[in-house]
Amino acid sequence: MLLKSLDHIFWLGRYLERLDDTARLINATSHLLIDSHKDSQFSWPLLLDVLGQNGAELLSQLPPSDLTVEQQVMSFLITDADSEVSIRSACSALKQNARTVRQLIPRDMWEELNSLDLFLQEHCQQLQGRQHRYRLMTEVSRRCQMVVGVLDGTMLRSDAFDLFNIGRHVERADMTTRIMDVMVLQQLQPTDIKRPRFRWTSILNALGGIESYHYYLAHQNTEVDAVDYLLTYADFPRSIAYCLHRVAASAKALPHSAAILQRVWQLQDLLKTQNLSELTTGQLHQLIDQFQTGIIELHEVISTPKPEFSTDLSQQMSA
Amino acid sequence: MGAKSFGHYQQISQCFDELVQADGQIRPPAAAIARFIDRHGSAELIQRQEQLNQTISAMGVCFTLYSDGNNIDRCWPLDVMPRTIPSSEWQKTSAGLKQRLAALNLFIDDLYHDQRILKDGKVPADLVLDSRNYLAPCKGISPRYGVWANICGTDLVRDGSGKFLVLEDNLRVPSGVSYMLENRTVMKRVFPELFADSFIYPVDDYPHQLWRMLASLSPRPGDVPCIVLLTPGVYNSAYFEHSFLAQQMGVELAENTDLLVQDDIVYLKTLHGLQRVDVIYRRVDDIFIDPQAFRPDSVLGIPGLIKAWAKGNVSIANAPGSGVADDKVIYAYVPEIINYYLGEQPLIDNVPTYLCLDPKQREYVLANLGQLVVKPANESGGYGILIGPRSTKEEQQQMAEAIKANPRNFIAQPTLALSTAPTLCDGVLEPRHLDLRPFILQGRDLYCTTGGLSRVALKKGSLVVNSSQGGGSKDTWIINDEV
Repeated sequence: MLLKSLDHIFWLGRYLERLDDTARLINATSHLLIDSHKDSQFSWPLLLDVLGQNGAELLSQLPPSDLTVEQQVMSFLITDADSEVSIRSACSALKQNARTVRQLIPRDMWEELNSLDLFLQEHCQQLQGRQHRYRLMTEVSRRCQMVVGVLDGTMLRSDAFDLFNIGRHVERADMTTRIMDVMVLQQLQPTDIKRPRFRWTSILNALGGIESYHYYLAHQNTEVDAVDYLLTYADFPRSIAYCLHRVAASAKALPHSAAILQRVWQLQDLLKTQNLSELTTGQLHQLIDQFQTGIIELHEVISTPKPEFSTDLSQQMSA
Repeated sequence: MGAKSFGHYQQISQCFDELVQADGQIRPPAAAIARFIDRHGSAELIQRQEQLNQTISAMGVCFTLYSDGNNIDRCWPLDVMPRTIPSSEWQKTSAGLKQRLAALNLFIDDLYHDQRILKDGKVPADLVLDSRNYLAPCKGISPRYGVWANICGTDLVRDGSGKFLVLEDNLRVPSGVSYMLENRTVMKRVFPELFADSFIYPVDDYPHQLWRMLASLSPRPGDVPCIVLLTPGVYNSAYFEHSFLAQQMGVELAENTDLLVQDDIVYLKTLHGLQRVDVIYRRVDDIFIDPQAFRPDSVLGIPGLIKAWAKGNVSIANAPGSGVADDKVIYAYVPEIINYYLGEQPLIDNVPTYLCLDPKQREYVLANLGQLVVKPANESGGYGILIGPRSTKEEQQQMAEAIKANPRNFIAQPTLALSTAPTLCDGVLEPRHLDLRPFILQGRDLYCTTGGLSRVALKKGSLVVNSSQGGGSKDTWIINDEV
């Protein structure tokens, strides 16, 4: 595989996962809204903040409109071409990266990606109502899963396959922590008070993890909650522990695996050294912040293997 | 088979129609498609065209336009009606195409070595040596098997009687083969019943044949060759094809910055370090591939590549310098070239050609601009052509001046009654003109595609088939008629 292709294939994995996870985040938010009482305040700026946007500023700049804040935020998250975090821009970035490394991906996957892109172009304009939005986002997730399924069933196990999977799981870890952050911050401000037990049925539902969460509860001796589950339960494919495990497993054959593995271990240590159920809401928020920073660093070591091309040739010749 | 199959289909008189005989009978190879229309009616045909368009966009079969803002990819235009050719006819055509490429390669090799043909006065020496495609630095170099043009796309047309003629040879970086392959994939999905109904020769072994040919060029024959496809990049009009072929062959798709030359050896920058490259299938024009050898301002080139190639450390397909035979003036001499090197008569004729270089022929051309097609010797993509009967007096005047200023740069041909085929236009089958580009490979062996890419002028009466100028395409079926 060309050195240059590394970033494209890694980002291909990231954007595909981002598309899926953004759709899930949107559904999780909708669940949260449906679950909330009418008089409870939903903090829209906060939702945008966890996506790396300046929520307050964005909302204050919105042009006057007949739409509700919910509809405006959703259009920013789904259809807005200028929004860095929208479904639409994730899909267009996905397509750009796929086009650049098309020679590396199976043609069935290329076809699934095209069909996903066409589907979004056709359907992402209509956002009326939560019900319609729910169906649309579920379909986006489903189509993303189809791309992954096609790839899993047909792609050669190669550096490209490993990097694609690393990209997916780095992004997933990133998004799972962001989704947790929304949930924590939406319900409780960071304080020194020991946090209450989070059930979060709605978010687990959105992450497709409600049944496995109940299984987890039934097989634990200690008191656990959704935070422990999403961070540490390595048998659940959207947990941080699982994502880190997958990154490590996929990195093993890469020439710069040592640097990647070292970062993964550092992140795994963060989980081991904490007694999660004893954390205050402030500490939990801090821990999530630490994860976010760690994931950025992990991304950097993955995308910079830096082989030296112009010095000693004999040492660099590959077999 | 009655004429009812294609409804009120009106042939153009004087033109050979690929599917319908002059008496209105359906040609035997088109029997299956005619039966289909008889059985299902034209509404079904229209629906299949719609299904076909959707399939193309879902498959992402596209071509790239340079000046189109962000939306650079356009869906590939494919007409639902196939073009059919009987296999017995294709056998002869394919033999003629191989004959032609073999002779052209002997010619190019001779030009860069002894120049016997020039000394014997069969081709005027200044014609070759003054050509901008004759690359003097290539003199004395011997590519493997003496073959310079490894991949050739020859454009064929039929005259009024239906006889195939060679319109031009593309020996530099001919494109279109990926669309030939994709057209077939799409048609199989849209018309599965037609494929069950007749014996249509498959086309999908091309990527493997291309790989085999490239592998046969490796300078390290014992080892598994490292082959790369060199592309100018994602904004090139043929990028779809480059990535398609790289993917289908399982080779790396590289840009110049992915390669480097050290001690006259070419290396690829891989994730695991440098890997030695044996064969480069380049889709970059030759004068751009090495700024040290040709254009110093090239940003697409790899410094030192030509030296590595001259030393035999890497093979380049097509070899730099092979474009010397891809000159429309040289084209006029190809029958002579075949005769000179092979001692054979050409199996496929040229279109009659007037050389503006020759004072007598020039005089004729200048006097008959309104009836002739005039072409510059070294353009591609249908640019700079004057189609006499469709041109204005002013355009003819401009062309006359251009010819007088540089007669060597122009040839002229009679306007042919290009063959037509029924094509779905606004829901109705109408005749449209078309050509055919088969692809011929030469390395250790010679190979010719089963059929090729049929390009069709979608505008009524138009003779321009290039996709960049609004042309479409048809799947080309070589139908077994020898059982």
